[in-house]
Order: sequence, then structure tokens, then C-alpha cells
Amino acid sequence: MKTDVLRIGGRELQSRFFLGTGLFPNPYVQQEAIRASGAEVLTFAIRRINLEAPEDDSILQYLEPGAFHFLPNTSGARTADEAVRIARLARASNLSDWVKVEISANERTLLPDPVETLRATEILVKEGFTVLPYTSDDPILCKRLEEAGAAAVMPGAAPIGTGLGLLNPYNLGLIVEEANVPVIVDAGLGSAADALQAMELGAAGVLMNNPVAKAKDPARMAQAMRLAIEAGRLSYLAGRVPKKRYASASSAPEGHLLP
Amino acid sequence: MELTINGITQQLEVRTVGDVIAHFGLEGKPVVVEADGEIVDRERWGEAELRQGMKLELVHFVGGG
Repeated sequence: MKTDVLRIGGRELQSRFFLGTGLFPNPYVQQEAIRASGAEVLTFAIRRINLEAPEDDSILQYLEPGAFHFLPNTSGARTADEAVRIARLARASNLSDWVKVEISANERTLLPDPVETLRATEILVKEGFTVLPYTSDDPILCKRLEEAGAAAVMPGAAPIGTGLGLLNPYNLGLIVEEANVPVIVDAGLGSAADALQAMELGAAGVLMNNPVAKAKDPARMAQAMRLAIEAGRLSYLAGRVPKKRYASASSAPEGHLLP
Repeated sequence: MELTINGITQQLEVRTVGDVIAHFGLEGKPVVVEADGEIVDRERWGEAELRQGMKLELVHFVGGG
């Protein structure tokens, strides 16, 4: 079979599964899940160090150096300026120049602010970042983000952490049709079926955290998601049959032994 | 001198950013420092002098989606 790599910002990825690193019950389970996922890209948040216990929450100490590509997010930002500030801090770590722009203006839905997201993307692209904006599933907005220089666009399936699955498959289909950059479905997925659906609609990849980290068995769910993403990708590339209203026989009618 | 570090105002016997890093035992850790809104590159920590009342942010990568 032909190799099917995902190219983003000059990088070639074998895995189409981007895994978030929040919410896991403990570092051991997280390690297991990361391994089972096969993910090469891991997302992180940027936060203040707890100066009372600086050892406590340094997640990087558990990861094999160089084994993963880091995608820090700008979570907590409510404006483009705040997102730009967090992105600069993330890059100053010298760990990655990729950034997931994430700007939420509403605490109940955490839906991305489209205007601020576009503005932050414009600024960060000019500053040389590889920008992957988490965005509304709006085809025109995704196009605008692409034109602003986003390396990929990441429309949400549903609000973050809801597990509601793909609320607007029609929009995602349009986004994929129009896009000249990879489309990564980010946020709101719940099960392997959701990941598979996104991939069958032509998403280049899927970014998930909650459905893996909060599953009863995160490592097993990570494996399920990995397989679903691979299956969905293959199904998309293979091309599904058209839907028909009435039956068509799979067994040939010729030579039937009954009169 | 008086500094506000990660939102908490405190008195520390320090002169440079490097002294603050050492005070909290963060040498060799993947820490990023912002002083009054400007990032201080790691290479400059030893020489970056602090002033009374400065606001420092010491941040790092944590789990997130």
C-alpha cells in the first residue's frame, strides 16, 4: 500500500491522532495511553509553576525526550493578545514553535471566538509560528484562517469535553472540500465511532483528550481511537459506495436453481 | 527586594532572574520567565537584573488538550 503521511509545517507524521495530555488519572495511565495511541503529536497547556511544589506538575519529566512533537495550546486566553502572549512563552521553552490557538470567550460553551482566533493566527504566522487554530466549524472562517497562513485548521466537532460527537457533519464535509491545508477535527468527540466518522468525512486527523483520559480504561480507549482513525482514513481513501433507497443483490441472479 | 511572582507578592534576597530560579530550585527545569511582560531568554537569566516591584511569571508545560 502507498504510504499515507500527514504533512504539517514541514513535518511528516505517520499518525493522524493528536492526543491531549490533560485530565489523566495519573502519569502511569497517561504513559500507557500515549503508547497505545501511537500519537506523535501531544498537546499541552502553559501554566504558572506552583512555587510551593515545583516538582508536582512538570509533565515533561515522564516523557521520553525527542519521542514526540509538542503542540502547546493557548487555553485560558480570551483575546488574541492574550493568546499571542501565551504562544510566545510556549516558544521560549525551545521545545516547539507550533501553537494551537485556542481562544474561548464563553465559559459555558468554551466555543472559540472566531474574530480573535483569526487575529491571533495572523499575528503568530507573521512571527514565524506554525499555527494550528482551534476554530468554529465554519467553512468560510476555516478558509480565512488558511489564507492567513494557518498550517492546519482545527474545527471543533462539538464544545470541548462534551463528547457529543460531530454535530455538523455537513459543515465538516464542506470544510474538507474547500481546504488546501490539513483539517484536524478537534474537541467534542466522545467515542471511536465519532473519530471514525470525522475521518470518513475526509479529516486529515483528529485531536482528542477528554474521551481518552476520562474513559474507564484510557489505554484501551486510546487503542480504539487509533484503530478507528486508521479505519476511517482507509475508508475515506477507498471511497464508499453511494447510498441507494432499494436493495441490489450481492449474489448473481443467473443460474438460480429454483424455478 | 519586593517582587510579585506568579501573582504572589513577596520579599526575596535576589539580584537577578537566575537568583529567583535558584531560590525556587528550578535550575535545569523547562521553565520560561517573563519579567514585566517581556520574556527573559534562558541565556540571560544570570545577568538579567531585577528591580523593586517587578512582576515575574514563571511558567511551564502542563497537561492540556
